[in-house]
Amino acid sequence: MTIALGVLQVVLLVIGAPLLRGIVGRLKAVLQRRRGAPIWRPYADIWKLLHKEDLVPPSASGVFGLAPLLLLVTSILATAFVPLLTNSALLGSAGDFILMVYLLAFGRFFLALGGIDGGSAFGGMGASREALVSSLAEAPLLLGLVAVAIQASSASIVGMTQWALERNFFNISAVHLLAFLALGIVALAETGRMPVDNPATHLELTMIHEGMVLEYSGPNLALIEWASAIKLGFMVGLLIALFAPWGMATTLSPAALGLAVVAMLAKMFALAAALAVIESGIAKLRMYAVPDFLGVAAAFGTLAVIFTALMKR
Amino acid sequence: MGILETTAARVLSAYSVFLFLTILAQAAARRFSTNVLLFSLQSAIIAIQVAVIGYHEKLMEAYVVAALIVLLKVVGIPYAFFRLIEKLKSPREVISATSAAESAFVAVGMIWLSYGAVRSYAGGVHAPEDGLAAAVALILTGAFLMISRRKALVQMIGLLVLENGIFLAALTTTFGMPLIIEIGIFFDVLIGLLLMGLFVFRIRDTFDHLDVSKMRKLRG
Amino acid sequence: MGLNSQPSLGTSDRSLFDPRFRKAGRLIAGLVAVATLGACGAGGRSLLNSEVRKLNPSLLAPFPFTFSLDRLGFFFLILICAVSLPVALFSVSYVRRHYSAARQKWLWALLFLFVASMAGVVAASSGFAFLVSWEIMSLASAGLILIEGSSGDRRHNLFIYLLMTHAGTAAVIAAFLVFLPHSHSLDFAAIRAAGATLPPGVRMALFLLAFAGFGTKAGIIPLHLWLPRAHPIAPSPASALMSGVMLKIAVYGFVRFAFDFLGGGPAWFGYLVLVAGAASGLLGVLYAIAEHDLKRLLAYHSVENIGIIYLGLGASLIFMAHNARVWAALALAGALLHTLNHALFKSLLFLGAGAISDSTHTVDLEKLGGLQRRMPVTGAVFLIGCCSIIGLPLFNGFISEWMIFRSFLGGSTLLNTNAQTLLPLMAGVLALIGGLAAACFVKVFGVAFLGRPRSQEAEHASEAPLSMRAGMLLLAAACVAIGIWPGGFLRPIVSLAQSLVGAPAAPPETLLIASVIPWVAAAFLALLAVVSVLKRAKRQTPTWACGLPGLTSRMQYTSTAFSKPIRFVFGRVYKADRKREVLPADQPYFPGSISYHSVRTTSYERLLYRPFVEGVVAAANQLRRLQTGNIQVYLLYIVVTLVSLLLYLRFAG
Repeated sequence: MTIALGVLQVVLLVIGAPLLRGIVGRLKAVLQRRRGAPIWRPYADIWKLLHKEDLVPPSASGVFGLAPLLLLVTSILATAFVPLLTNSALLGSAGDFILMVYLLAFGRFFLALGGIDGGSAFGGMGASREALVSSLAEAPLLLGLVAVAIQASSASIVGMTQWALERNFFNISAVHLLAFLALGIVALAETGRMPVDNPATHLELTMIHEGMVLEYSGPNLALIEWASAIKLGFMVGLLIALFAPWGMATTLSPAALGLAVVAMLAKMFALAAALAVIESGIAKLRMYAVPDFLGVAAAFGTLAVIFTALMKR
Repeated sequence: MGILETTAARVLSAYSVFLFLTILAQAAARRFSTNVLLFSLQSAIIAIQVAVIGYHEKLMEAYVVAALIVLLKVVGIPYAFFRLIEKLKSPREVISATSAAESAFVAVGMIWLSYGAVRSYAGGVHAPEDGLAAAVALILTGAFLMISRRKALVQMIGLLVLENGIFLAALTTTFGMPLIIEIGIFFDVLIGLLLMGLFVFRIRDTFDHLDVSKMRKLRG
Repeated sequence: MGLNSQPSLGTSDRSLFDPRFRKAGRLIAGLVAVATLGACGAGGRSLLNSEVRKLNPSLLAPFPFTFSLDRLGFFFLILICAVSLPVALFSVSYVRRHYSAARQKWLWALLFLFVASMAGVVAASSGFAFLVSWEIMSLASAGLILIEGSSGDRRHNLFIYLLMTHAGTAAVIAAFLVFLPHSHSLDFAAIRAAGATLPPGVRMALFLLAFAGFGTKAGIIPLHLWLPRAHPIAPSPASALMSGVMLKIAVYGFVRFAFDFLGGGPAWFGYLVLVAGAASGLLGVLYAIAEHDLKRLLAYHSVENIGIIYLGLGASLIFMAHNARVWAALALAGALLHTLNHALFKSLLFLGAGAISDSTHTVDLEKLGGLQRRMPVTGAVFLIGCCSIIGLPLFNGFISEWMIFRSFLGGSTLLNTNAQTLLPLMAGVLALIGGLAAACFVKVFGVAFLGRPRSQEAEHASEAPLSMRAGMLLLAAACVAIGIWPGGFLRPIVSLAQSLVGAPAAPPETLLIASVIPWVAAAFLALLAVVSVLKRAKRQTPTWACGLPGLTSRMQYTSTAFSKPIRFVFGRVYKADRKREVLPADQPYFPGSISYHSVRTTSYERLLYRPFVEGVVAAANQLRRLQTGNIQVYLLYIVVTLVSLLLYLRFAG
């Protein structure tokens, strides 16, 4: 039964991720007083791209076609570690958060290689910048997760969620607050959102993710777009599970599950609104200000880890 | 009554965390107005702390002190600073010897150091360790801001943060200073700020900028 | 060394001589292969059953020259065999294509001597055997470097290599000598017994000597100066062996001393090792990112991985000092597994570099490109090596890094506040190292194998010959095997770590990871199959590339350009000397030519080594005063020595 629930959670997140992206886009449009695209647009985009031809640059090798596959597979696998509706995950186990982080790194590695394989200057530029951002984002991500793990005395995401579930909102610890700030900044960097990267740009001065995928088209591009939507959903789900998991079903009755679905949708909508506000309110950082930004996140993460020892006495 | 009690207890134990957050944010801030806003936030948190202590210990004058802090440090001085920025028309960004990330790490180091220093002392004085550590960290941050930033305006903010720290230290160790001493300290700081404000105008008029690193003619 | 002057018999490659040598050579090679496989099998069983095998008690009667293999020795022997066999397979065609027949014999002889001496080091059970094998190992590797050529620059680098390796050996000899008054013999069993009851001052001296001596050979910062100089100038199979196996022998020595002989120590031992590991990891990977010579880059990555191993060893020592033996076993097992993993994937990468240089005659990344389409098998196994060294899941590097991460997390359960904060913070350092390594290997694989070729040689590259491919495929298969089914490999290593550390039970985390990873691999493959359904037939056509017509290889990112952002952010680590020359000098706005020369000096060379060297030279100059050249002064020295001895006997007796 838990396996079925785990699979259901993964399928929900994978299928629903483009919808989350569409909602964020629509909220941004509302904030910017535009009409904006309907929230189902990402699905239409993926459908359209899947039915187009797959064009491959003449210099590309096998890695060019392999990269989108690996990116999508690792993104889907990463969602199998995050509890959504109930406090269980399909692949959860002690120490799984390290596996989860490195699975994402797997996908990013191959995406960067795919960008270079295109043979144009923009792919290399996107890959070079992505290398800078992702190498500096791993430390705050792991520091934040380690701090939460130590505070919760558990090395699995499910265990950390359990710790937060057992406490109410006013009891949340200093460690969690600092870790939330660190992970929030890293989530912006990992999903390629403002102020780190602009997901809607195609100017060479501002591209990171878009630079790497510039040469992709057709089904390859559909897979990449879907994977980046899944990553956004994953990050949102992870933040909710670690820091605000209340409302998750503790029993398997339909009422509890229904309540869990409603609670999850509400929380995701809240985070989507916050993301839309941040994206509309803050200008994109210039390239060499991003390491500073991530360094501040690392400082938050370091302080979170230090606090786990200081607060223990 | 129950809600108030519990919130008061929560605030007492949690406020130091928010102070640490403002310390980190101030270290990493790159605009002067952000520094001023964070200072105002710090003073608000301290005012709330004073009010809660007044509620706990049933001290009337604590409420007066809290009101004074709100009036002067949360509203008055920041407003004066914003007026100053407008009149000076100086560039808004804070030029610093260390980058934002490095300053944030220095702030983390200072917080760690303040906890280490306070641990042996706080046990003997029966003071809440978090509060005392926050106070020491505020003092160190104020000093750090004064040392590493190159504009005279930020150094004023640094002095104010340092004074916040001293006040907080006194608060946590004695659970409220006598009102008269508190007012005395307030006025000292106020006069100091007025003088600094005057000097800032003089500096700007003489040198056409406020960059402290360029004012080194005082060598012997 | 006189290796350039060949004996006259060897310079002939007449057909009369060759077939017999070739047959004999194949026979020897086959015997050696069977022997190594047998040793591996025996070793594997031994590791599980914790047997101790004694071989050849006392070869030469008057000297205590004994060999015996215990579990630690067997583990490293398996490591040596597992790497030497594919390297030897690789060398069969590599050596034939690159060297004259005479040199080939010397090369094979030195390779065999090198591997045999390393096996001797791990099998030694007396200090004498250890040191003799150690010296032979250093000299054999120096000989291999010399075979490649001895022009001026190479001789300078070789000199530095020999100098530093001998300084390290001197420290190791000193460590053995310090043991002598307490153990009364250089036999390992006696040393182990004496190590349990040492006064703390002696323990500290021993630890520092072992740390410095083995650290010089392993290449931790700041003693790594020789590594990026020596590894690139050796022939590729030798580089693979040096980087893959020789560094691990140094780790073996350190583990033998710190864990087996000394049995741990106060916590500051562990902190020293931890800090050295962190510094090596970070600085190693930062220096690697700035390189565009593939072999130098891989040499710096060896420094980084040795740093990761030392992180695990340091954590283990700290845990032992706080009596958390199960966590110590986990950390030590992670470090040991990382030595095995690094041996496998580093040799794979160096062999790949050898295949690249065999095909394109260069290892300069700026001249490569587009090799994946021309050397598909080499590219595929090189990619597996890259994924392994980064530590991506489903490859072997991940398992050991996971174990070290997990042990850092366990540091929070200790009661000492320093350990509680420092060990989890090291997880952040390890994450930063991993992230930077990933960035570096995106650059390496992307610039070398993907995109368009940047030179004629790269354009006309061809696939490596069969034996070279076979050797690399073996190593790649081992990497993937450990990555997907870690359970079988973990159990003997964990029980070895348990016995070294004295843990009562096996850490349960290893069971967990061993059971989760195969499921993740299965899910991965299943999802891959499912998602591939969405793909369509592809059509090759020039893509938009922002509307630029006629893309050439010059429009791609170069290796230096790729690493620029990271080099900029970490600017304090690199101190570059930049020279820009515009000719003619009197017409700056209408230049005839502009030359730009940037030399990265590693700043520690200036700060650390220069004062040290100058101090040594100054002290030597002072001592030179003793040599006046006057025979009467020398006679005076003799008389003074005699008189002082007599005085000592008179007053102290």
